[in-house]
Amino acid sequence: MITAVQKPYEEISEMVKGFKNLLILGCGSCVTVCMTGGEKEVEILASTLRLANKKNGVSMDIVEDTIERQCDREFFDDVKEKIDRADAVLSMACGVGVQFCSEVFEGKRILPALNTKFYGATEQQGTWSERCAGCGDCVLDKFGGVCPIARCSKSLLNGPCGGSQDGKCEVDTENIDCGWQLIYDRLKSLDLLSRLEENEPIKDWSTGRDGGPGKIVREDMVL
Amino acid sequence: MGEKKKIVAFCCENSSYKAAEAVTESSALDLVDIVRLPCSGKMEIGMVLKCLEKDHPGVLILSCPVDNCKYIKGNLRAKKRVEMAKKALRNAGLDENRVHMDFISSIDTYKFADLVKEMNDRLENTHPVNR
Repeated sequence: MITAVQKPYEEISEMVKGFKNLLILGCGSCVTVCMTGGEKEVEILASTLRLANKKNGVSMDIVEDTIERQCDREFFDDVKEKIDRADAVLSMACGVGVQFCSEVFEGKRILPALNTKFYGATEQQGTWSERCAGCGDCVLDKFGGVCPIARCSKSLLNGPCGGSQDGKCEVDTENIDCGWQLIYDRLKSLDLLSRLEENEPIKDWSTGRDGGPGKIVREDMVL
Repeated sequence: MGEKKKIVAFCCENSSYKAAEAVTESSALDLVDIVRLPCSGKMEIGMVLKCLEKDHPGVLILSCPVDNCKYIKGNLRAKKRVEMAKKALRNAGLDENRVHMDFISSIDTYKFADLVKEMNDRLENTHPVNR
């Protein structure tokens, strides 16, 4: 899923200053799972802003809602009227949702409440870590299911750098595991260490972000 | 002018709710609205903030004693959520002491009454949100 964290409250407060009718719109998918932009978080942020506004004598009508996700047009139908009434929408979706909402509702001010982080998985409740870099040419079959692009700080494809020590990465020896240690351990457990003797050629980075904004068209699915 | 709002006490039914039920002195009971929870771990940050939005002067969250939660870690979950609620109050520029958590057992009748009265005394001078 796409993970995100909430922007500092001060930044959000500054962003919504001056609007008289604010809709805080949550997203029921990824950001709900990573507990940052779902219904509960919408409620908390809305209450905090209302309490602050009352204290400061600021008049602002704050409406709350959450839709299934903000990256598919159909889910906005349920909140179309609320969006029309609002001066601004504080979207608690990831960057995709904020932008898509902005496209669907042209001319409406859509503001981001979150900072989008990475494609990741839930290690345990409250902890999410990066797994995929969206490179567009998956090589997980070659590395035992551990991605050298996403899990190695340097995205090296042919083994670790000299900074790998005790299974940790020199970029952050406390918090980052060496991706290549993980690959080695995984291939060893799969009895596939011989794979490491194969050289991985120079990667074509254009299949991912480095090739510019991506687009997928499935002609068989287009109506 | 509407009815004066009271302190809201979210009480775990396994401990503080039983203590509250045994309180007889009306001077404490008159100051508080009691909400029964199956476990203090059921409390949500949004519930606490909503109470304050509705002009209740303060919110108490009363859990089972540490290491004594019927559901093992419910009171610890509640403790973390109370910290987040306090953070929200700080963000809003309000006194974080309007939310208070304590740990009491089912026989701590006097402690329940004392906690309510202490919070009331502490908040007497705090301007309610709607002033």
